[in-house]
Amino acid sequence: MSAAAQPLPSAATPFAVRRLLWTAGIVLGASLPHWLELPFWIPVLLAVCLGWRLAVAMLGWRPPPRALRLAFALLAFVGVLLEYGTVNGVRAGSALLVVMVALKFLEANGQRDELVLMIISYFLVFASLLYDQTLFTVAYLFAFVWVTTVALLQLGRRAALLPSRSTFATAGRMLLRALPVMVVLFVLFPRLPGSLWGMPRLPESATTGLSDTMSPGDITRLGLSEEIAFRVEFRSRPPLPRELYWRGPVLDTFDGRTWSQGDPRRRNVARTLEHRGEPVSYRVMLEPEIVRFPLALDMPAEWSGQPGMRMGSDYRLRMFTPEAASRIEYEVTSYTDYRALEPLLEVDFDHYTYLPEGSNPRIRALAAEWLADDPTHAEIVERALAFFQSREFLYTLTPPPLGRHAADEFVFDTQRGFCEHYASAFAVMMRAAGVPARIVTGYQGGELNELGGYYIVRQSDAHAWTEVWLPERGWVRIDPTAAVAPARVRLGSSLPALSDAASPRLTLARMRWVRALAHAWDAANMHFNRWVLGFGPELQRELLRLLGFAEMRRAQRWQTLLALTVCATALLSLALAFMGREPRRPRHHDPARKLFTAFVRRLARLHVPPPAPTESPSDYALRASRAVPHLAAHIDAVVAAYLQARYEPDANGEALERLRARVRGFRPSPA
Amino acid sequence: MTTVARRDAFAGRPPPRLGGAGGRLWRAVGGIERRAAAWALRRQGRDGVAVTLQRRRIYILPTRYGLSLGLLVFAMLLGSLNYGASLGFALTFLLAGLALVAMHECHNGLLGLEVRFVGAHPVFAGQTAEFRIALAHAGRRPRYEIELERDGVSAGPVDVEPGEAATLRVAVRAPRRGWLVLPRVAVSTRHPGRLFRAWSWLHLDARCLVYPEPAPPGRPLPADAAAGGTGRPDAGDADFAGLRAAVPGDPPQRIAWKAYARNAALLLKQFSAGTSARVVLDWNALPDLPPEARIAQLARWCLDAESAGGAFGLRLPGTTIALGNGPRHLHECLKALALLPAPEDHRG
Repeated sequence: MSAAAQPLPSAATPFAVRRLLWTAGIVLGASLPHWLELPFWIPVLLAVCLGWRLAVAMLGWRPPPRALRLAFALLAFVGVLLEYGTVNGVRAGSALLVVMVALKFLEANGQRDELVLMIISYFLVFASLLYDQTLFTVAYLFAFVWVTTVALLQLGRRAALLPSRSTFATAGRMLLRALPVMVVLFVLFPRLPGSLWGMPRLPESATTGLSDTMSPGDITRLGLSEEIAFRVEFRSRPPLPRELYWRGPVLDTFDGRTWSQGDPRRRNVARTLEHRGEPVSYRVMLEPEIVRFPLALDMPAEWSGQPGMRMGSDYRLRMFTPEAASRIEYEVTSYTDYRALEPLLEVDFDHYTYLPEGSNPRIRALAAEWLADDPTHAEIVERALAFFQSREFLYTLTPPPLGRHAADEFVFDTQRGFCEHYASAFAVMMRAAGVPARIVTGYQGGELNELGGYYIVRQSDAHAWTEVWLPERGWVRIDPTAAVAPARVRLGSSLPALSDAASPRLTLARMRWVRALAHAWDAANMHFNRWVLGFGPELQRELLRLLGFAEMRRAQRWQTLLALTVCATALLSLALAFMGREPRRPRHHDPARKLFTAFVRRLARLHVPPPAPTESPSDYALRASRAVPHLAAHIDAVVAAYLQARYEPDANGEALERLRARVRGFRPSPA
Repeated sequence: MTTVARRDAFAGRPPPRLGGAGGRLWRAVGGIERRAAAWALRRQGRDGVAVTLQRRRIYILPTRYGLSLGLLVFAMLLGSLNYGASLGFALTFLLAGLALVAMHECHNGLLGLEVRFVGAHPVFAGQTAEFRIALAHAGRRPRYEIELERDGVSAGPVDVEPGEAATLRVAVRAPRRGWLVLPRVAVSTRHPGRLFRAWSWLHLDARCLVYPEPAPPGRPLPADAAAGGTGRPDAGDADFAGLRAAVPGDPPQRIAWKAYARNAALLLKQFSAGTSARVVLDWNALPDLPPEARIAQLARWCLDAESAGGAFGLRLPGTTIALGNGPRHLHECLKALALLPAPEDHRG
């Protein structure tokens, strides 16, 4: 065979260079999302490998000898091992993958290597999706797959490359037809609630507004992180901003400077709650950074959506399942008007009034003054709040550092601080006066996204307040910060006047349209997080219910979804098969065909039926020759000329001219 | 080309060979393919001169690239399930959808394709016959990367534009005189992206006439019965009369090398001698040779006589061809020799 076993054109031909450039582009595009995560030397290695290989093809450089390539591979492997301490896991694995792709490109030669690189590139992009999933990622994903499909169309060819523009259109059409398949599989393919072989550990975040401990004197500058902590969608009428206390970790153990969580007692306090007034129902969408602290509005009454969620002995919701690295969502119904009537035992009473021996002596002295006329607990609280209001306390995010008796120094010397200082000082006062008190941390307030109809709570909304236990009334929330800076509680932390260290957002927030734009973007993100990233077993269960399936067990649900997946994919495949079919269309513009039709018409006058659609011209000639034997030679000549003009045309149209002459010369008369 | 190739040291590296287990697997696959082809023949029957490919005779399977991609998608699915990565699922399923679309595109690349045998020039036994096969279709979009494959060797690939026909040449060795029937050929495509190979087996009604292999030159033409001239005039004192296809044994100094350089066909310059010989080449004039050798010798004589420019005729058992000359006459004579029934029946 003439074209048989023809080797691919040499890598130095323009054809091969174009193919290499395509491959290089795909490799670069696939590794791009990894660059920020990788140690600097890996992108450098990639650039060197790409550059060298291209220089070999385009400038005639010497290719790297085999020994050097091996050394590169070995060094890179050791480098990754040193960098990450392992070659397992998402990050080390991705780094290794980028290194491998770089080295593979260095020795890429021919179609096979190019196609292999393309396929690895898909995996590279996949790996980047495991630690970066935003709306931008989606845009990047589709753009990448589109370009890669173009590259696949081009690199899969043995003949010359196709024109780029039409290939982009072709690839786009293919992508559009693949989309329904993707959507159907995405929605129907059964998801797992857990993992198959273990998850990566949750990334330790330093920006979290919440923690298990609190030492107010140590922080001299509170960063206002604009990061979103969680979003809340109210099903019922949202409460007033001053009622938006999102309950987080409760700190009840004090060592004189630092508040921390005590041993959680196994006590069911949920039934000691008395709810009053209107219930507030809402859905919380928690960002991955704070999934350890599932927040709820004071005080939650019912919750659903997370199987392992319980109420702890401090009235806080907790997750008793191992934390997931992804967002979680749950529904809660709370009552902002409540009584937390936990009965305190003697031992509890001691715990909540404990102050270390000798700590904060000045506050103790002050408390002793208040106790002189034997006031009730409620009166002590009032006196303490009055004390804060009567002095020149200042709310600031950049307080001076405090020493050993942090509360004393804050109350009597510096008088500058933020919520933690006030809450801590107030709790110390209460304990000094024998009133059980503890610190509650969490978030206060929230920003309404009018476009999305939900509230955004940011890390900068983190707050700390106090709970005191009063006989008859149980745990009562007292927010001493509100006594000093009522606006902090009424309007939220984003009020610029409140902070002397205004962050960029706070300045920008004054510009209305920027705020509107930011809200639109956040709303898009919220829906994306909720419906795309958050799509999992729970939403699939909901979907099955909407489709009219009765509630079923997990295994059964799995089978149903799998069956639905198979059916839907089969249907789509069938649709694809018919969509791709081309409508048949007569070839009017083919002159040979036209001449032949004229010839057939002339023969038809001699009662020779025209050829059937399935009849080949040769068969037709045979039939016609039998019908009119005296014209057999003419018929053969015309059909031969037709076949040549049609299937083996020559450049100058001689065959067509011959056919034309023969058809014109064909003036048959009945025998 | 060679100077360019030397610049890139990667070029020309031999393709990897499959040995050991891979080779065995490949051979096993070959066996399965032969059986499947036989099954297809029983199912679809022999074809005429032309075939329009219909859905039920187009087969499709993933290539090794397709299989690799399938494996990759599976790995990505497992990864997505493990990490609960929604966008991982999205990419996985997008690729799965693309593969599905590619499969249909590949299949549709052949659907409605018209494959027609347009001809094959006669060759001498021992040469390679070239069957010209035209591809056309009535669709609006081009059909990319169509190949004709036989025994793992392929002709093409070629893109078939709408309204135009593309011709591929399938080369088949012609060992014996007579009719050479085109063996089973697969028309196939791997577009887009070489992920799938769609193919259809063709058993076209295509044959090529194979002339007998001429005996080596040397034995002089028999004496001219009528005019008494000798058969072999010297080329030197003759006029150039035209070209004919060269056959093994032709003197190399008479090959038209310039013509070869132009269109890669070996042609022999022919000269007409001043003397016009008239000779009848008789089967019975060669009693010393076994039948096949006789046919070979007669073929040689036909070529020699045609070169000499004189009129010649052929007398064979059951056939006689009157005196004549020219390419058409030579073809008639060689055709008669090619199609002479098996010689055992005509001994003596």
